[in-house]
Amino acid sequence: MTGLASDPLARQMTGFKDFYQYLSTTRVISGRDLLGSVGFEFLKEGAQRVFVVTDGVIRGTGLVERVEDGVRDGGLEVVGVFDDVPQDSSTDVVEACAAAAKEAGADSFLAIGGGSVMDTAKVADAVFTHGGTARDQEGFLLMPRENDGMGRPLDIAPLACVPTTAGTGSEVSMAAVIKDHEHKVKLEIADFPLFPRLAILDPETTRTLPPALAAATGMDAMTHAVEAYVSVDWSPHQDARSLQALRMIRDNLERAVETPEDDVARGNMLIAANIAISIALGSVHAMSHPAGAHFNVPHGVANAIHLPHVIRFNAEGGDDIADRYRDIAELFGVESGGSGAEVGDALATHISATVERLGLPLTLSQVGVPESGIPALVEGAMGDGTTLLNPREPSESDYEELYKRAM
Amino acid sequence: MPYFKDADEVYAYIGKLFQDLAEDEELSPKFQKADTIVQYHYRNPESIITVSLREDDPGRVDCGDTTMEPEVVMTMDADTAHRFWLGKVNVTVALARGQMKAKGPVAKILKLVPLTKPIFPRYRAILEQSGRQDLLDAA
Repeated sequence: MTGLASDPLARQMTGFKDFYQYLSTTRVISGRDLLGSVGFEFLKEGAQRVFVVTDGVIRGTGLVERVEDGVRDGGLEVVGVFDDVPQDSSTDVVEACAAAAKEAGADSFLAIGGGSVMDTAKVADAVFTHGGTARDQEGFLLMPRENDGMGRPLDIAPLACVPTTAGTGSEVSMAAVIKDHEHKVKLEIADFPLFPRLAILDPETTRTLPPALAAATGMDAMTHAVEAYVSVDWSPHQDARSLQALRMIRDNLERAVETPEDDVARGNMLIAANIAISIALGSVHAMSHPAGAHFNVPHGVANAIHLPHVIRFNAEGGDDIADRYRDIAELFGVESGGSGAEVGDALATHISATVERLGLPLTLSQVGVPESGIPALVEGAMGDGTTLLNPREPSESDYEELYKRAM
Repeated sequence: MPYFKDADEVYAYIGKLFQDLAEDEELSPKFQKADTIVQYHYRNPESIITVSLREDDPGRVDCGDTTMEPEVVMTMDADTAHRFWLGKVNVTVALARGQMKAKGPVAKILKLVPLTKPIFPRYRAILEQSGRQDLLDAA
């Protein structure tokens, strides 16, 4: 089925897209030995008094001190370091971070870490700049704007990111997710000012990444690329990024996990994750978000478990969807002929084998999710915004069946 | 020029649709699963409809002033709301373009989006029964 402009609710997977917008405003620097020039580069973005956001584990590796030296080498001042970011950051952490930056007299933020650290820095920056609470920032395209909220969004303080995992892509995205423990929800915040001004990709930052974490975050990147390519919100711009990301993941993920000293593979995975990120995702993320919220399943692990099942489900949803999976199957060297069900099964089987070789769990029961948890997971998946972007519309019973298969 | 001339027209048609849904024995329980209070803040003309979708509460719809405290606030032009209920607005595109803005735990109402499709003919019927072919033609 090819949607036409006269039917705005129809799925449109081919042809000239009726509407999309594409933004990528972050200046990305990639290469070796970049940590010493962080200050030189961040100065170009208006930073002078830098507040560093990180976590205790990263700080313990000595990486933060090396980046700090690089900041000072560029003539900038490090006015404070906040290293209390937990694995899943929350509103109270964000507000403490913003208050500490204010107290230190900062004029810019530098995040050194994974997704939780970078998302904390983004939302703390918004609170720091505009005031209010972390919860006040919640929403889609709702940050303060000129012309009574209808004009250009107001900038937040300059933010630079040095990712230490190759998966989240948060260093070049306009979105952040923060837990609100009081209301037991994850706040989703997305607007253009949240694009960091600068992202620095240097394989040195992932040198000490444990293989299991490299595998899980790499599968997160793969899932971003696959879901963005088959999302109803696909675009030719994102297609180009997704397919190149998948080529790089195909060629580098297992190498980076099996031989952590391979800085070529690690560097290429940083780039792959960086170009794979999109907010146009689908049911894999819809299923993984509640698995994380209810059962603390790490996001990349949850994606690795759910991805094959969603591929099989979607590929049976129509030739236009199956053809997109056919492109991915071809890229992976998997048999791409036959019916939608056949190409979906071939691709899903290939991905499951990859997940197994990476040493990651293949089922939800392996990561402690009980069958009795399925109703809550289904409710969470149905209410996740990414469900609306999945190419095949899933019902409650579809999600129930998908979770059962993932058990 | 906006489709609706004043807030009363918004309430007469979009408000009536919400009232009808709140009284619908089959559909109302499905929407109440969201367990939230949603406020629709429309511009051009300025108008507010607040809808209780609480599981333990009979459906309640307030047009204009309300004592209900919304958990989710959806802001859009009344024209966009009109076109949405006629099945002419893709929610994800409208959100991406900022034509619809959502504040609060938006996930609670996003899961209702698939339920709205069967309701589009009902809104059309309200307009037809009210002799407002002009509103149907204009959108």
